[in-house]
Amino acid sequence: MRKGLSRSSLIMYVISIILVAVASGAIGYYMSKSASSGGFTGPTYTYTLTRTHTQVYTEVSTTHYTKTISSISTLYTNYPPPPSTEIRIVISTTTSLYATGLLDYLASEFNKIYPNVKINFVAVGTGAALKIAEKGDACAVFVHAPNLEQEYINKGVIEYGRIIAYNFFIIVGPLDDPARVRDTPNVVEAFKRIYEAGEKGQAIFISRGDNSGTHVKELSIWNKTGLNPRGRPWYKEAGAGMDQVLVMTNELKAYTLSDIGTYLKFKKEGRLPNVEQLFAKGADLINIYSTYLVKSCPENIKIYAKAFLDFVYNNQKQLIGTFGVAEYGAPLFNPAIDKEKELACMWLEIARGG
Amino acid sequence: MGKILEQYYGELVDITLRSLYVSGVATLLAFSWSIFIAYFLASRERVEIISSIIESLVGMPTVVLGLLLYFLFSRSGPLGVLNLLYTPSAIIIGESILVTPIIVSASFRVLRAALQTYGEFALSIGATRIQTMCLVFRESYPGIIAAIIMAFSRAIGELGVAFMVGGNIKGYTRVLTTAIALGVSKGEFESSILLGLILLSIMIITSVSLKIISRLYRI
Repeated sequence: MRKGLSRSSLIMYVISIILVAVASGAIGYYMSKSASSGGFTGPTYTYTLTRTHTQVYTEVSTTHYTKTISSISTLYTNYPPPPSTEIRIVISTTTSLYATGLLDYLASEFNKIYPNVKINFVAVGTGAALKIAEKGDACAVFVHAPNLEQEYINKGVIEYGRIIAYNFFIIVGPLDDPARVRDTPNVVEAFKRIYEAGEKGQAIFISRGDNSGTHVKELSIWNKTGLNPRGRPWYKEAGAGMDQVLVMTNELKAYTLSDIGTYLKFKKEGRLPNVEQLFAKGADLINIYSTYLVKSCPENIKIYAKAFLDFVYNNQKQLIGTFGVAEYGAPLFNPAIDKEKELACMWLEIARGG
Repeated sequence: MGKILEQYYGELVDITLRSLYVSGVATLLAFSWSIFIAYFLASRERVEIISSIIESLVGMPTVVLGLLLYFLFSRSGPLGVLNLLYTPSAIIIGESILVTPIIVSASFRVLRAALQTYGEFALSIGATRIQTMCLVFRESYPGIIAAIIMAFSRAIGELGVAFMVGGNIKGYTRVLTTAIALGVSKGEFESSILLGLILLSIMIITSVSLKIISRLYRI
């Protein structure tokens, strides 16, 4: 009898642990969900979901927003009214934009006007981001590989492309620079020197190897050198995001091609003591970020995806141009709006050049 | 560690609760059908082939399942109209499929043992099939609960399904394992370690409970 009692009490204990865990999980989850969908509460104003579009517009143009987003008054008229029910937009994106925190910042600014539009970023490489778009699982893409973009434009997967930002790729390498990349005249020469040093066993090169924008760029540079590093023991294909490759580069004291935004962020955080920026010159290394809408996206979601892209495009200077200045001393991304024509020419050149 | 805790506290709690919720619901969902599959198998003769197939699926690679489910849930896939991809529901469905073989094969054994001991006897003294089933369940429940705990540990610790059909979306489908993977890839090892400790302690609590039960009842 006593054994039976302890047995059942033990079972009850285990069951109650599971039940409490699941129940608290469920309650916490729904609480966090309802808290986040309740609308934006800012220091200067509070939106509720019942306000009409004009009310929000006047409020936006008379408060807070006039300081940060000066052009919004002329543009807001073209924006759709905030939806009354929650709308979820999936945006697939390159890792370099996501890892710096820029996209979360853009989404949080956008949510000040559209609290009911939830923007979900799926951070993968550019190649995978476009593939996800092709399968119809994302409504918009943020990418940086013009030749891949051209391919998907031709396939009819994406439309409404616009350049939103640019920065430069850089060669990151060990402080003692065994391949002498620092004083090379151009990037093709730099890659040739890394190849030679690699063959001598003095250098390691880590490739993204994940069909991302940076990887595509790296391959196109190798292509220009006329050398094929694939399969060489010093050429390591990581198959990982920019962030992880930079960490690996630091561990192995290797060379890699990186976008400057991710590099600056990591360098500032002190995660890259063994490597530094060795080469950053020339239009050869330009890195152009574009946004697209996905054609197969359902119309009711697409208008808000378009609103988000418009919002980002129209406020590049205020949002992208200032992002990271306070933290890193320089903007991680340059807004494209002033140099749009030049960038479009470069974009076309890269898209054709492959 | 204190600084990190402060910085990530809200997100840590959010991610942990979401993990418990997703894996807990997935386990209970899987239990609801697995137990009947297990009983059906236990009450039949000559099911060795089926049961060994199910046993081999216990170690199913989560990335393979994740990939298959991605094609299934994708908008261009057969279940695309349900809009399940990149939602917590997709992870729940995926994990419940993942742990089904675990619950079936673990409870199959205890149910078979209980059936051999009590099944014939119960029927011979005039119990109906339903009554026999209830009796067998009652006699083997420690083993069944052990199976549930095993399944829960597997569900909360898996990465492939949560990554591929959940998408690791901040504040929506980010669970402990995907957050750890993201932290490692970002080089933010401190927050990853913290999340890893949370995950480990959840798993240890469940497996210690499992050990206590199996020692007491020699499952």
